[in-house]
Amino acid sequence: MTSLKHLFAWTFLTLIFAAFTGPAQAKNDLVIGITQYPSTFHPNIDSMLAKSYVNGLARRPLTTMDARWETVCVLCEELPTLENGGATLEKTPDGKDGIAVTYKIVEEAVWGDGTPITVDDVIFTWEVGKHPKSGVASTEGYRRILSIDRIDDKTFTLHVDRRTFDYNNLSTLNLLPAHIDRAKFAEPEAYKTQTAFDTDPMNPGLYMGPYIMTQAKTGSHMVFERNPKWWGKTPAFDKITVRVIENTTTLEANLLSGGIDMISGELGLNVDQALAFEKRHGRKYNILFKPGLIYEHIDLMLDNPVLQDSRVRQALMYAIDRNAISERLFGGKQPVAHTGVNPLDWVFDETVPKYAFDPAQADRLLNEAGWTKRSDGMRANAAGEPLRFQLMTTAGNRTRELVEQVLQSQWKDAGIAIDIRNEPARVFFGETVTKRKFPAMAMFAWISAPESVPRTTLHSEEIPSEANNWSGQNYTGFKNAEMDVLLEEIELELDRDKRKAMWAKLQNIYATELPALPLYFRANSFILPKWLKGVEPTGHQFPTTLWVENWTVAE
Amino acid sequence: MSAFLVRRIMHSLIVLFVMSVVIYGLIGLMPGDPVDLMISADPDVTAADAARLRAIYGLDQPLWSRYLNWLSAAAAGDFGYSRLYAQPVWQAILPALSNTLVLLVTSLLLALVIALPAGIFAATRPYSLADYGINLAAFAGISMPPFWLGILLILVFSVILGWLPAGGTAEAAGATGTWERLQFLILPVAALTIAGVGGHTRYMRASMIETLRQEYIRTARAKGLSESRVVLGHALRNAMIPVVTVIALDLGILFSGALITETVFAYPGMGKLIFDAIMGNDYNLALVGLLMATALTLIGNLLADVAYAALDPRISYEELDA
Amino acid sequence: MSETVAMAAEAPGRAVLGRFLRHRLAVMSAAVLGVLITLALLAPVIEQLLGIDAEAVDLFARYAAPSSAHPLGTDELGRDVLVRLLYGGQVSLFVGLTATIAAAIIGTTIGLFSGYAGGRFDAFVMRVTDGVIALPVLPLLIVLAAVDLGKLGFSESFLGSENVSLYRIVAIVALVGWTTVARLVRASTLSIKTRPFILAARAQGAGAGRIMFRHILPNLASPIIVATTLSVGNVILLESVLSFLGLGIQPPLPSWGNLLTGAQETIWEAPGLAFYPGVLIFVTVIAFNFVGDGLQDALDPRARDRRAADQH
Repeated sequence: MTSLKHLFAWTFLTLIFAAFTGPAQAKNDLVIGITQYPSTFHPNIDSMLAKSYVNGLARRPLTTMDARWETVCVLCEELPTLENGGATLEKTPDGKDGIAVTYKIVEEAVWGDGTPITVDDVIFTWEVGKHPKSGVASTEGYRRILSIDRIDDKTFTLHVDRRTFDYNNLSTLNLLPAHIDRAKFAEPEAYKTQTAFDTDPMNPGLYMGPYIMTQAKTGSHMVFERNPKWWGKTPAFDKITVRVIENTTTLEANLLSGGIDMISGELGLNVDQALAFEKRHGRKYNILFKPGLIYEHIDLMLDNPVLQDSRVRQALMYAIDRNAISERLFGGKQPVAHTGVNPLDWVFDETVPKYAFDPAQADRLLNEAGWTKRSDGMRANAAGEPLRFQLMTTAGNRTRELVEQVLQSQWKDAGIAIDIRNEPARVFFGETVTKRKFPAMAMFAWISAPESVPRTTLHSEEIPSEANNWSGQNYTGFKNAEMDVLLEEIELELDRDKRKAMWAKLQNIYATELPALPLYFRANSFILPKWLKGVEPTGHQFPTTLWVENWTVAE
Repeated sequence: MSAFLVRRIMHSLIVLFVMSVVIYGLIGLMPGDPVDLMISADPDVTAADAARLRAIYGLDQPLWSRYLNWLSAAAAGDFGYSRLYAQPVWQAILPALSNTLVLLVTSLLLALVIALPAGIFAATRPYSLADYGINLAAFAGISMPPFWLGILLILVFSVILGWLPAGGTAEAAGATGTWERLQFLILPVAALTIAGVGGHTRYMRASMIETLRQEYIRTARAKGLSESRVVLGHALRNAMIPVVTVIALDLGILFSGALITETVFAYPGMGKLIFDAIMGNDYNLALVGLLMATALTLIGNLLADVAYAALDPRISYEELDA
Repeated sequence: MSETVAMAAEAPGRAVLGRFLRHRLAVMSAAVLGVLITLALLAPVIEQLLGIDAEAVDLFARYAAPSSAHPLGTDELGRDVLVRLLYGGQVSLFVGLTATIAAAIIGTTIGLFSGYAGGRFDAFVMRVTDGVIALPVLPLLIVLAAVDLGKLGFSESFLGSENVSLYRIVAIVALVGWTTVARLVRASTLSIKTRPFILAARAQGAGAGRIMFRHILPNLASPIIVATTLSVGNVILLESVLSFLGLGIQPPLPSWGNLLTGAQETIWEAPGLAFYPGVLIFVTVIAFNFVGDGLQDALDPRARDRRAADQH
C-alpha cells in the first residue's frame, strides 16, 4: 500500500516537474514528418521531391530561387549578369550565339570534411552530368555547357551554347565532391551504383549545408546534425530528424501525439486534410497554405474527333464551376488555373481568357456544335451518338477522385455524360498517359518552375509516338505552328519586356485552344508548431529547407 | 527421413525456380518501365535521355534475356541492385526482413499464447456461454478491416489517451530504453495479434473437439483420469497436429498480411518493401522479395509435413512423399 | 446407389434447419444478413422515398449533420451517406458472393477431376495448386489493371463502364481463390471414390462423368457450402484492403471498402463517415462467418454426434 502511495507521489512530482521544466527547456531538436523516402541521395541522378527536401538541409546549390521567385546566389559570391559584366555574349566555336558566364565560389565554402569547394568540383560535376553512361537522368543542362575555364581555385567561366534568358541559373548543377567521388567515377558505367552518396551516405564530405546526415534508415527516417564546418549563419537546432510516414492519417496522429513537431508542406497533408486540421487545432499550430507551381489539369485527347471541335472544349470549361471547387473543397487555398502559368509568376498575363461558370454559354456552344439535349437531359448529335467521355486519373489519389466526381456531376447538369475510370499511378503514367492511350480525358499535374517554358508539353515535335520511342510529353497531340515558334523563341529572348509579350501570346493561345482543361494550382500546407518561426514557403520546386538556418525557436 | 527431406528440398527449389520465371514474367507484363516513371517525375528528361537510360539499365533488351542475365548473376550470388533504394537488393531487404520478423514472431507467439488456451477451454465446454463468448471474440478479430483496426488503435491509444507512439520505429524517434523501444511495437503487434488470434482459436477449438471424441480419450476417461489430465495429457498432442499444420502453412501469407499493418504504423518492413518495389517497378527488389515470400510458404509446407509426421506416429515420411 | 440415398436421407432439409436454428449466433447472423441484403437491394427505392439522388454532388452541403432529408448526414461532396452506404453494400455483397461462387465452381471442378483421376494428373494438379497459393496477388492485380481488355474481345461499352474494377476484382479472387475448395473437394473425392457404393456404380457401368457429378458431388455439397460461406466475408475484407491500397473498386462506384478508405483521411473531421462503413463491413463479415459456422454444425453429421455426446 505504501509503495503504491509512493508511486503516486512520484508520478505526481514528475508530472509537476515536467510541467515546469517542459516549456523552459530550450528546444534543441526538431522532428519533421514527410510522406516519402528518397530513393537515392545522389543529387543529380534523378529528381525527386523527398530528396531535394532532405538535401536542402545538408547541401547548398550554386544558385537557387528565393521565396520572391528571383534567382539568387547561394554558393557563389555574386549573381553574374550581362549588366554587371559577369556574363558576356560570345560566339560558340562553330559560330552560333553563345554566352560566357563567370561565377566565383564563396571563399570560405568547404565540404563537411573540411576540403575546400573549388572549381575542381564544378568540372567534375559537369563531367559526370554529361557522361552518357553515368546514369544521370536529365543531361540537357550539362550538354549545353561547351567548356569550363578555370580562372583560379574559386572562379570559373562557363561557355554555354545558347543565350537563354535564365543563363545565370545554375540551380540544377548540384556540386559533387570531386575529392570523394572522382575515384568512383573511374568506371563511368559503375558510377550510379558506386557513388559515395549511396555507398557511404554518412560521409560528411558529401555535404556542405548547415547540417550533415548522420543516420539514414531506408523507409523510416534520416537524422541530420550540425555541420561543424558550416561557414554561414548558425542554425537553431542541434539535430533535425526527418521521419517518413506515408499514411497521412498516421502522420497527423504522430503530430498530435508528439511523435513529430511539424509536417512539411512539400510532402505532407492534402489541402482538405490541412483545412480540417486547422478547424480543430488551428489555435495550437501555425498552418500556412502556399499555392505553388503544381498545375492540376485535364489533358484532352485531341485525336478524339469529338474533342477536335474547339467549341466542345470551350463548352467543357464553361460547364464547370471551378471557383466553387476551389472555394468549397479547398477553402480558397488552391487558386483556379487559367493556363499552366501561375498568377504568381511574373510572366502571367491578366488578359488571358478566363472561363467563368456559364451554363448558358456552354449550352449555346454545344448546340452550335450539333450536340443537342435529348428528352433525358443528356446530349447527342444528329446521328444519335451520345456526348460521352471517359475521364481517367490516378487511382487512390483522394483529392483527384473527389474533383473528378464533382466535375462528373457538373458536366452531367450540362448534358455531358462522363465515365470515370481510374488506374494505379503505375499503369496510368507507365502506359495510359505516356503512350497516349486515354480515349478522352486524363487528369494529372505538371510540376514546373517559375518561368519554365512548356516546350515538352506543347511543342508539336514532342508528341509521343511509336516512331519517336514514346518520348515527349505533349500527350494531347496539340499542334499549333504559332505555339511552336513561341516555344522556341521565348527561351532565347533576353529582353524581359519582349519575353513578357510572348508569354502573353502563349497563354492566350493555350486558353483559347485548350489542349488541356486548366483546373487549379495545388497548394502546399505547412503545419508548424507555434514556437517555430522563419519557415518561409517558396511555392516553387526549391524547398523551404534551403533556408533552414533562418528557422528559429520563439521565446 | 533425410531422403524425404532431400527430395522435398529439391521439389521446393524447382518450385522456386518456376516461381521466379512466373514472377519475372508478371512484373514484365506490368505496363511501363522504370524509365517511364523517371520521366513522369522530371519534365527535363528528353527523348535521347530516355533511350540512353533504357540502354544503361538494360531495359532495351527483351524480357527473357534480362531474366537470364539476372538468373546467371543470381546463381553467382549477385541478386542485383535495387533501383528504388539505390542499394544492392540484399542490403535493402535485410533490415526490412528483420523488422518484419520481429513484428510477426512476436504477434504470432502472442496470438498462440492467447489462442491455444482459449481454444482448448472452449472445446472442453462446447455450446456453453464461455464457448459462445470465445467464438464471438475470435470471429470479431478476423472480421475487422485491418487498416481500420490500426487506425482505431492509433486514434484511441496515441491521440486520445496519449499512451503509445502513433507508429514508426523506436530508432526513428531516437528512443533508447527497453520500455521505450517496446512501446513502438505494442500497437502494430496488437493489430496483427487481434487479426490472427481468432483463426488460431477456431482451429484449436475444432481440432480439440474432434480429438475428444476419439475412442482412446473415452478409454482414458473411463480409467478415471481427471478431465485436465485427459485434455492436456492425452488429447493435446493429437489436437495440435492440424493446428501446427495450419500455422506453418500461414507463414507465407504473413508477409503480405503485414503490408497493411506496416503501412498504417509507418513500420519499414517486408510487406511495404515488396509493395513499393512493385509499384515503383523495381524488378530486382520485387522479384527477390516475392521469392522470399514464396520460399517462406514452401518452408512452411515442409515444416508442416515434418511436424505432422513428428506429432503423429501413424504417419510415415514415405506416405507423405507419395 | 443405395448409400447416396441413405446419406441424403440422413440430412433432410428439416433436420438440417433444426440443427441450424439451434446455433443462436448463426440464426441472428442470418437475420442480420437478410436485413442488410434487403436494404441494399432496396437502395433505389429508399433513394426515391427520401427524394434524393445518390450521385448528386452538393458542394454547399458537405459534411452535413443527420437530418430528416439525410438520415445519416452527407459526405465530403454533400451526397447522402445512407443511400451511398446502401449502394456500397450492393457492390460489396455482389463482389463477395459472385467471387466466392466463381471460385467455388472452379475449385470444385478441379478438385473433383483431380481427386477422381488420381495418379500423375492428380499430382500435377496439386503442384499447380501449390503454385497458385504461392502466387503474389499484388502484381497480378496490377497486371490485370493494365491488360488491354479490348484485345481479349470485350466490347468498348463494357470497358468504358465504371464497373470494370468490380469485374476485375471478381476475376482476381476467382483466379486465386479456388485453391481452398479444390483441396477440400479433392481430399473428399479421394476418400469417397473408394467407398462401396461408388465401386458398385462403376461395376454397373456408370461413366466417369456420371459418377463424379451424380454420385460424388452430392456428398461434397456440405463442405463446399460451408467453405464458400466462410470465404464470402474474407472477400469483402479483401476488397476493403485493396481499396486501401488504391487497387479496389474505383469511385464513383461506391463499395464499403472505398467508402471506408476515403473516410480514413477525414476520420478526425467526420468520424461517422469512417464509422458506418467500418461497422457494416465488420457486421457483415462476422455474420457470414457465423452463418458458415452454423451451416457447418448443421450439415456436418459429425457435429451432430458431437452435440449428442455433449448432452449426456
